[in-house]
Amino acid sequence: MIKGGYFKKHLYVDLTKGSTERRDLSDAFIEKYIGGRGFGAKLVWDNLKRHNFKMNPLGQENLMVIAPGPLSGAYLPSSGKNSFIAVSPATGLYGDSSIGGGFGVELRQAGIDVLSITGKAPELSVLFIDNSEATVMPMPELKGKSSLEAEGIIRERLDTQTAHVATIGPAGENMVRFACVNTDWGRNAGRTGFGAIMGSKNLKAIVVRGHRDLPVYDINGLAAEADKAYRYLKEHKYFKMWQQQGLMNVIEYANEKGILPSYNFKDSVFTRHEQINGATMLADYKIGDSACFSCSMCCSNICLVKNGKYAGTVVEGPEYESCAMLGSNVGIDNFAAVLAANHLCDELGMDTISTGNLVGAIIEGYEKGILSLSDLDGRDITWGDDDGILELIRMIANRRGLGDIIADGPRRIIKQWPEMDKVILQVKGLEQSAYDSRAGSSMALAYATSDIGAHHTRAWTIAREMEEGQSWSDEEKVDTVIYHQKLRPLFDMLGVCRLPWIELGLNERHYEYFYKCVTGNEVSLEQLLALSNDIYDLTRLINVRLGVSRKDDSLPYKVFASPPLTGPNAGKVVDKEHFQRLLSMYYQKRGWDEDGIPPAGVESKFKD
Amino acid sequence: MSKKLTVIPEQCSGCRICELVCAIKHFGVNNPKKAAIRIINTYPHPVMRMPIVCSQCKVPACAKVCPTDALRWVEGIVILDKENCISCYQCVEACPFGAIYAHEDCDLPIKCDMCGGEPECVAKCPLGALRLIPEHALGEPKRLNNVLSYTQMREIEFYEKGEKKAIRYAEIGKEEL
Repeated sequence: MIKGGYFKKHLYVDLTKGSTERRDLSDAFIEKYIGGRGFGAKLVWDNLKRHNFKMNPLGQENLMVIAPGPLSGAYLPSSGKNSFIAVSPATGLYGDSSIGGGFGVELRQAGIDVLSITGKAPELSVLFIDNSEATVMPMPELKGKSSLEAEGIIRERLDTQTAHVATIGPAGENMVRFACVNTDWGRNAGRTGFGAIMGSKNLKAIVVRGHRDLPVYDINGLAAEADKAYRYLKEHKYFKMWQQQGLMNVIEYANEKGILPSYNFKDSVFTRHEQINGATMLADYKIGDSACFSCSMCCSNICLVKNGKYAGTVVEGPEYESCAMLGSNVGIDNFAAVLAANHLCDELGMDTISTGNLVGAIIEGYEKGILSLSDLDGRDITWGDDDGILELIRMIANRRGLGDIIADGPRRIIKQWPEMDKVILQVKGLEQSAYDSRAGSSMALAYATSDIGAHHTRAWTIAREMEEGQSWSDEEKVDTVIYHQKLRPLFDMLGVCRLPWIELGLNERHYEYFYKCVTGNEVSLEQLLALSNDIYDLTRLINVRLGVSRKDDSLPYKVFASPPLTGPNAGKVVDKEHFQRLLSMYYQKRGWDEDGIPPAGVESKFKD
Repeated sequence: MSKKLTVIPEQCSGCRICELVCAIKHFGVNNPKKAAIRIINTYPHPVMRMPIVCSQCKVPACAKVCPTDALRWVEGIVILDKENCISCYQCVEACPFGAIYAHEDCDLPIKCDMCGGEPECVAKCPLGALRLIPEHALGEPKRLNNVLSYTQMREIEFYEKGEKKAIRYAEIGKEEL
């Protein structure tokens, strides 16, 4: 039974009408869907049903859900997470993106468990949620402002330093299909195009300020358990390293293991990795730590370029993905240029992973002669050409020339130049993130079966496969992927970060206890995992109803046919038939049919 | 020995654990907006995360404006007398650092009481940005920083018994001689 943890409120905003409404959430709904992506998937499913599964992701009818979880903001390690959920303009399918910082916590302090936004404002507007009040305010003067600039203007206008602000940049306004939402000066809901959705709704920003107590059923029990968990993390041998380098330590690791994308995944090691790794950042660029709410690991860094042509650039970041995709993947070996590209993406409001992936693909396409010089509007571009790359990024955000095609994502590029299908790494229309899957078939399966497309967040099995999985049987591979796909989305439902668990080995049992203390609901970890698994079925159902089947659970051409040139995985590809066997076994273990369709009875689970 | 709670903002990550543990300890609630310490973030010039907490001033500006003498400096802590406080919040406005807080649920201003000498925020800060140090040692870390960042500091590398070492020294401005 739910005794705490929720306000049981859903704020529903209709931008067309300019109306806001606080709706009640039932106990049954809360117990079943928990929060975060669980709430989101259910609301998106209901909305799709209302529209007979005909949905233009950039149409008024698309419902954008923002949902923290019951643990968001609670005193326990890394509870600052929050999910964005909608039908994605990048894939046309289920999409979500989880974001750190403090935006979700603030939303909870305003007494809201889930916020959903539909319709389209008549002019560029800002949604301002101030504790119990919610208003839609027209602010057409913000048109064209960068994400960060808009955040500054809004803070000044509303005279607030303590509010949390989520903004979009020009890329979002121009509905670039991989535009992101920026909060807290540089934390992004990066993937699957939420910036474009906000742009399509004429919503430039969401501002939240709240000051309520978060309902916690047993605060003393929670504090005692949290102290234990914080102590465990503090004593971990890699804790200091995480505080200092954060995710930037992964560059060295990925290079050593041969999973670091280089030159649009032509290679999986980067010869000049030392120029863009964590040690270089620490020596010359880092000026401060940055943490999400209640996180002792502070994996984020603040970097400053102190000299040269990018002097004065200040960035929250980079983390591994941004650094790999805007660094080695496009051949940039100058860390200052990586920071400049990262900052530019933040300013324009564009996902660094998708951007780095597509820029790399364009460079390779031009190198191979698929694109001509006139396709590039007369300005040639090569690996590591930072001026050209930054200019291309600007062209995408502003939909200028070639940028207009790239802005519509991989499918549009492939439509224009069919041979690019062999160059771009994408699944279901989402560009692959920065772990090479040719080194391990479990990671390949993870990308193919991720509900949002080729992203590592659902199952990041590559490290375990590199460490201990060389002798894994097929069954162990499939089981590991499925276990990750249960546990990792559970973190997104609870509203907490997965890094303390995956990186520092914080036992997942802690979360069972945290959940119990916060909600008073006596549920085991196994039951929570089962609920998370139900949501995986639900997102699959959404995708199936939007046209997905086995044919879409595929992999990029390069994964099967074009091995990395050098490094420990030189010559390796994923065997096509082996992959199909893994996929069949995966479906079987999930109880889906040979074509990847869940059985007819599953749908009835999500009636209410 | 009187100890002071000091802040080293360069080491703060902005995680707000201090806010959480303060509110839990004093109010028993999970609400960072009820803490007597808050972190202010600024960006981009300067990029700073600055915890704001009472300095326990010896000549407290808050006490000076208090119409009922409810604030008094006693053995290193500016103590709020809950009996005499009338919640006029003049202290909140008067503090030059903004280090006294108000919340609509609370009857009194929220002010750091040093947790009876062992501040919870200091104990739980994961980065050592909050420290409790003897009064006579106040400012020491800053002095060292100042020395190290002295603009005319030069560094040379040299070898001692085959081992590479570096030494820093201050260059005397020749033009002034």
